Amino acid sequence: MQKKLCWIVVFAVLLSLGSVGSALGAQEVRIALFVILSGSGADLGEQSRAGAVMAIEDINKSGGIKALEGAELKLLIADVTTTYSKGPNVTDRILSTSKVAGAIGYGYSGMTLTCLPTIQKARVPLITSSISDKITAQGYNYVFEICPKGSHFGRTQVKFAAFLRDKYNLKVNKVGFIYENTAYGTSTSQGLKETCLEEGFTNIGLFQPYDKDITDAGPLVTKIKASGVDIIFPVSYTPDAQLLVSTMKAMKVNPLVIGGGAGFCWPPIEQAIGSRVNGIFSVGSWSYDTKNIFDYPQRKDVTERYQKRFGTFMPEQAGEHYAMVWLLKEAIEKAGSADPEKVRQALADYEFGKSMDGMMQPGKIKFDETGWNFHTFPTMIQWQNNTVRTVFPQEVATAKVIWPVK
Amino acid sequence: MADRDKRVNWVGTASLIVLAAAVLAIPLILSNRYLFRVLINIFFFAALGSAWNIIGGYAGQLSLGHAAFVALGAYPTGLLMFHYNVPPWAGVLPAAILAAMVAYLLGKLVLSLRGPYLALATLAFGEIVRILLLHFKDFTGGPLGVTIPFTGTNVWRLQFATEHMNYCICLGLLSLCIFVASRIHNSRMGYYLQAIKENQDAAENLGIPLARTKNLALVISAILTAAMGGFYMIFMTYIDPYAVAGLNLSIEIILVAIIGGVGTVWGPVIGACILVPLMEISNFVLGSGRAGASMLIYAVILIIVVLYSPKGLITLVPKLEGYRSE
Amino acid sequence: MGMQVIIFIQAVVNGIMIGGIYALVAVGLTLIFGVMDVVNFAQGEFVMLGMFVTYLLHLLLGLDPTVSIIIALPIMFCLGALVQKTLIARVVGLPHESQILLTLGISVLLMNLTLLIMGADPHSIQTSYKFSSIQIGPILIMLPRFIAFAVAMVASIILWLFLSRTELGRGLRAVAEKPEVAILMGINPKKMHWLAFGVGIALAGVAGTVVTPFRYIYPNVGQVYVLIAFVIVVLGGMGDIPGAILGAFVIGVTESLTSQYVALDLAMLGPYIIFILVLLFKPTGILGKGRAY
Repeated sequence: MQKKLCWIVVFAVLLSLGSVGSALGAQEVRIALFVILSGSGADLGEQSRAGAVMAIEDINKSGGIKALEGAELKLLIADVTTTYSKGPNVTDRILSTSKVAGAIGYGYSGMTLTCLPTIQKARVPLITSSISDKITAQGYNYVFEICPKGSHFGRTQVKFAAFLRDKYNLKVNKVGFIYENTAYGTSTSQGLKETCLEEGFTNIGLFQPYDKDITDAGPLVTKIKASGVDIIFPVSYTPDAQLLVSTMKAMKVNPLVIGGGAGFCWPPIEQAIGSRVNGIFSVGSWSYDTKNIFDYPQRKDVTERYQKRFGTFMPEQAGEHYAMVWLLKEAIEKAGSADPEKVRQALADYEFGKSMDGMMQPGKIKFDETGWNFHTFPTMIQWQNNTVRTVFPQEVATAKVIWPVK
Repeated sequence: MADRDKRVNWVGTASLIVLAAAVLAIPLILSNRYLFRVLINIFFFAALGSAWNIIGGYAGQLSLGHAAFVALGAYPTGLLMFHYNVPPWAGVLPAAILAAMVAYLLGKLVLSLRGPYLALATLAFGEIVRILLLHFKDFTGGPLGVTIPFTGTNVWRLQFATEHMNYCICLGLLSLCIFVASRIHNSRMGYYLQAIKENQDAAENLGIPLARTKNLALVISAILTAAMGGFYMIFMTYIDPYAVAGLNLSIEIILVAIIGGVGTVWGPVIGACILVPLMEISNFVLGSGRAGASMLIYAVILIIVVLYSPKGLITLVPKLEGYRSE
Repeated sequence: MGMQVIIFIQAVVNGIMIGGIYALVAVGLTLIFGVMDVVNFAQGEFVMLGMFVTYLLHLLLGLDPTVSIIIALPIMFCLGALVQKTLIARVVGLPHESQILLTLGISVLLMNLTLLIMGADPHSIQTSYKFSSIQIGPILIMLPRFIAFAVAMVASIILWLFLSRTELGRGLRAVAEKPEVAILMGINPKKMHWLAFGVGIALAGVAGTVVTPFRYIYPNVGQVYVLIAFVIVVLGGMGDIPGAILGAFVIGVTESLTSQYVALDLAMLGPYIIFILVLLFKPTGILGKGRAY
């Protein structure tokens, strides 16, 4: 009797779980936002959420989705945590209990990769700002990558190093790479290695992956010191970038730092090490001060509002998520429907970038057959006056390199 | 005496039949992906708990590194599938053999240890496996893990767009684990294991072959655990050393068995039926808010069970305690 | 000096610095085991709690971590005594499996309670001396780590004085070495138990406090400490305090050398292998004074 009661309770609970899928309101279109809001990747998730929330507000203020009689856009935010294996579970939970027109996520490349099979099975289009080359290499047709690929990041880092070397007559004997060992670091460092040989940096003194959750950078920095490299290309998220730079400064190991994005171009590193950050270069996929934003008052205004509201310059992922939400909105407009299949078709067929989605530099978006936005390319920033400024390539830069760096 | 036994068995069997019918009927009625995943998770952890129980519950040899066997099942299955297109139902066989061999070696090394030393040695074993999986990235993918891309429904490769088949497969594996567990429980080996749990030295004096029995239990447990690891690979389509070889998984497996009923056949099933929905409900209720609530509840339940009901919550349901009285 | 020699010495020095901190955690663990015969799987979580207490003191009162030991230590001691009296006391004398499961449960509880209350995001403490280092010839020692090491050594000395010179300390040792005789001498074992547990937890808390200037603070951080502590305790002989301190330095240096010369990500492999070897061949530890089964 007790056992039957147990089972009844269990099933009742499960059934109630199942019925918690709210009906789609006629005046409302939902999109899912998958971000990391807890754990070591939380800073990435927070800025992503900030950008997305601002976009939703701006869209609804400007009349919502015109093709659906001004229907409001609503964001369903889900925390996928920093643990990769939780991602598919959270994805399934959201996508099978709510009807969404599309999704945006996940931040970490590793997380996006593990959730792609689930997205494909759920048949919901996903727009992502994750950079791993693998994302568009597996034949999925429901994923759309708005940003440059990891290998391009690496190439740009090295091309910029060559640019500095030639412009300022640097003596560069050896170069080194250290990278966090998940999909992001691995993808980026691949491009680095190949381009180095092309650009004449033939003496690679160090090629060292490290654990993303590294807690003691002492041995790593000792290795950097031992290798004697003049330029170091680190690819790190925020906690490890902070740790690395702090430890390098403390151990007086000072090669030229050309960072691989992520932790090297987001606000937390400046909050952690203050003005010591100035001079550091990094590659990035979006910056608030590129020409396609600075030259358009409405877009520039978005970045200024962000600064006022959140207290820091608009960081890379905030900007990309702002653009991605607008992109999804424009795709829904073009599709004339909130049906995910139609939205997916629209994303695949049309060229975008004419409205606020054009904040994604360089201002034009078109996805090729693999789902990659082939118009975009990485840019180089330099920390100047405790903020990031785009300094390379010239077509989009609005600031100049400050040289020499201490 | 005989009448009473007969009565108990009749009610037990009848409820089992009703239950089995309900469980089998589910794929015909439901289609919500999420619910399927929850049910599959219940079966998954019930099976893992059952398998652990053979060495941890029956024999009382606390293995804190059992996740390593999940990994030893998942990785070969996944890698063979990814690189050589070997279908998972075939790939799980070498995986199980590998797990058995590793278990045998491990058993020879550490099963003679007593008390906390055994637990610590298995803990170290689990961590060593995880570290090695992370390190040999050319072979295992390292921290990037193994992802089986989804290219459409493929029955040969057990890849499906919906969860119905996964449900049936997992249910089948769970039934296998329960079957093995109950056969052991009711056999001479089960008797030996129980004696070992009570008092190893006394058992030895009775002539029970300690090393061989314990080793056999560990090997069987490892094989079943590895099979579940293989299932995990095709169900989740993604594995990495943290997910399948981490200490967290080892602890979750133990929780299911201990809370449910260590040393009994149905204990782990009860444990999974309580713990998995609890985790899902707390995730649902707290949503994108606070993590940690569900594990916190598990921990509290574990502590209460250890202090007040060491044989597990199954003792609240006496008819399920098995055919042998304790 | 050749570059290779410098790198080697630097790695050894790094290892000694780490080892000092491990010593605190391990000594606490081995003390608890020696006096109570209880394996405390939650030891690492108390290190984590020490870190959070320090972080909160820094956040709310602006206290420098080294200073806040004065407040953190009694807090951790009381916490330890409380946990012992309410929970651990019930499993003293029970089979080891129950003890392991109980302390495992406490470990999961503490970790997730902290997760629930403080969130999973890593925190860090900024100190004025974060970027400084001490230079001895070509060898650099980062100042926060050196301070941590120094405090750990001071704590160890104080503990040694306590155990050898005070009556309470001698009582603890009596219960550890010959419990039956201790009772006959009028020493209350129950009191010694919560005292030992309190001290053991306080040591873990201090270890947590001193590493906050250079570590991220988050709920899972304790897990790595407990594993290393167990390796050290077994290496040094379970229940033997000098063994634990010696073992801590051995493990610290092993970890540092492994990560420098074998591979960064295999840093823990060295200690684990030593662990298994010791368990198999000399379970009473390198000094041979540990408890055997």
